[in-house]
Amino acid sequence: MTAPGRDPVPAPAAKSAQFSSTRRQFLRGLGLVGAASVCPPLTTAATANPANAKPSHPDLEEYGRDPQPVILQINGQTHTVSVAPRDTLLDVLRHQLNLTGTKSICEHGACGGCSVLWDGRAVPTCLCLAREAAGHEILTVEGIADDPRFAPLIEAFCAHDAAQCGFCIPGFVVRAAELFLQGERMSTEEVQIALSGNLCRCGTHAKIVTAVTAALSAGAIA
Amino acid sequence: MRAPQTFEEVDVFFPDTLDAALIAQADPNRRGRVLAGGTDLMVQWEAGVVPLPPRVISIKHLPVLRQIEENPGMLIIGAGVTHKQLRASPLVRQYLPSLAEAAATIGGEQIQVMGTIGGSVANASPAGDLAPSLMVAEGDVVLASVRGERRVPVTACWTGYRQIDCAPDELIVRFELTKMPAGYCEGWRKLGPRQAQAISKIMGSFRGQLTDGIITDFKVAVGSVAPTCIRLYELEQWLVGKPCDAATCNEAETRARAGVHPIDDIRSTAAYRQWVTGRMIRSFLQTLEVK
Repeated sequence: MTAPGRDPVPAPAAKSAQFSSTRRQFLRGLGLVGAASVCPPLTTAATANPANAKPSHPDLEEYGRDPQPVILQINGQTHTVSVAPRDTLLDVLRHQLNLTGTKSICEHGACGGCSVLWDGRAVPTCLCLAREAAGHEILTVEGIADDPRFAPLIEAFCAHDAAQCGFCIPGFVVRAAELFLQGERMSTEEVQIALSGNLCRCGTHAKIVTAVTAALSAGAIA
Repeated sequence: MRAPQTFEEVDVFFPDTLDAALIAQADPNRRGRVLAGGTDLMVQWEAGVVPLPPRVISIKHLPVLRQIEENPGMLIIGAGVTHKQLRASPLVRQYLPSLAEAAATIGGEQIQVMGTIGGSVANASPAGDLAPSLMVAEGDVVLASVRGERRVPVTACWTGYRQIDCAPDELIVRFELTKMPAGYCEGWRKLGPRQAQAISKIMGSFRGQLTDGIITDFKVAVGSVAPTCIRLYELEQWLVGKPCDAATCNEAETRARAGVHPIDDIRSTAAYRQWVTGRMIRSFLQTLEVK
């Protein structure tokens, strides 16, 4: 099996970012037209009188939308990336670092497909601002695939035929890796509850739960 | 000024200290929409259901907001404490058990490590799962601004549908909640379409005391049946002094149904919610009897 979730032909980072940005702006534009018909446009004194827009405190210079260099620790490597304050960790991983194993699926924090380990804990990166990841250890599904400690877990996913279309599997692997790191054996029911933050629309939950339960019972991480 | 059309047009501020955040909030020209865990706001913005704010101030990373402490009578919970912290904290599990239980039923594990108690309260949804447990615990929401601190009783902090008693320059910084006294018990029930990742059709919490078969204290709050989470004060008063028996359960179920006036919406119907409110009260009284 190839590394889970890794796209066979990585697209150039700049191209994918541009495409995605266009698609999203289009979709957001549709949503905002609907909202704008109900809500009056926001008006603030800041724009009425630009002189008032000066920061009232030195810290306020942090306010801004311009990209700034941010140092991220991802899969044991240090990356310096240019991050706008509003960029999600998901966008930075996929579009700047080309770590496309982290999937953008629901963008609601509901499906778990964009999970990464943040200091060892699975979080949905679609809801994380990338700037806040500075100073934390991020492990993506690529890092898990490359780490021999997790080989028994990956093998269990394969042995139990846990993937159908496979799109959700990177998220499940990341969450399962968190459980695997904790090194506790869990019952089938406990695994079901632990994986409740990940959704599979093909309906292979049963096999995924079997795979993770088997991997956990096969023993704690070395 | 037109509202930002895309996230790229939103200014975001990551303050280093709480004071820096409060100074920014004090200035109407620098004030930002407060972002904590992002499990409500990021989703609403992404979906385009609310206009994007021109400025966002992100506060979840501030360590001062992430602590859980105690004093003899109260638990003090920082506004940035996550649902995961609530469900795992030995202090919360011992002294506010229904709050720990409620936190454990929110979203999935990945949402629980993101969402915060302060964000849940500020979002002020009538379906906010932490609200009933906060209302039966009683205590204060502490709001801070450059003008100083202000306390609002947690039972009065929601003033209407998605509205909270919080001035534009104020931040919710912590909750000071009354510990469950010895001899009391608490309970939590939630009904959604499935066990995880579901927004409640109806949910509720109680805190009560049974002494020699007589109900000596009972507080109950129900969410998703009114514009805000509500306490059933009339029912509580009626219950105190009654024996916890079948007749009391039957009458309490009827009174509970008469005491709520829910609506039909996307998640459930008024009739179902009214019926379940009664069953929930019965279940709470039975829990009280067993414990």
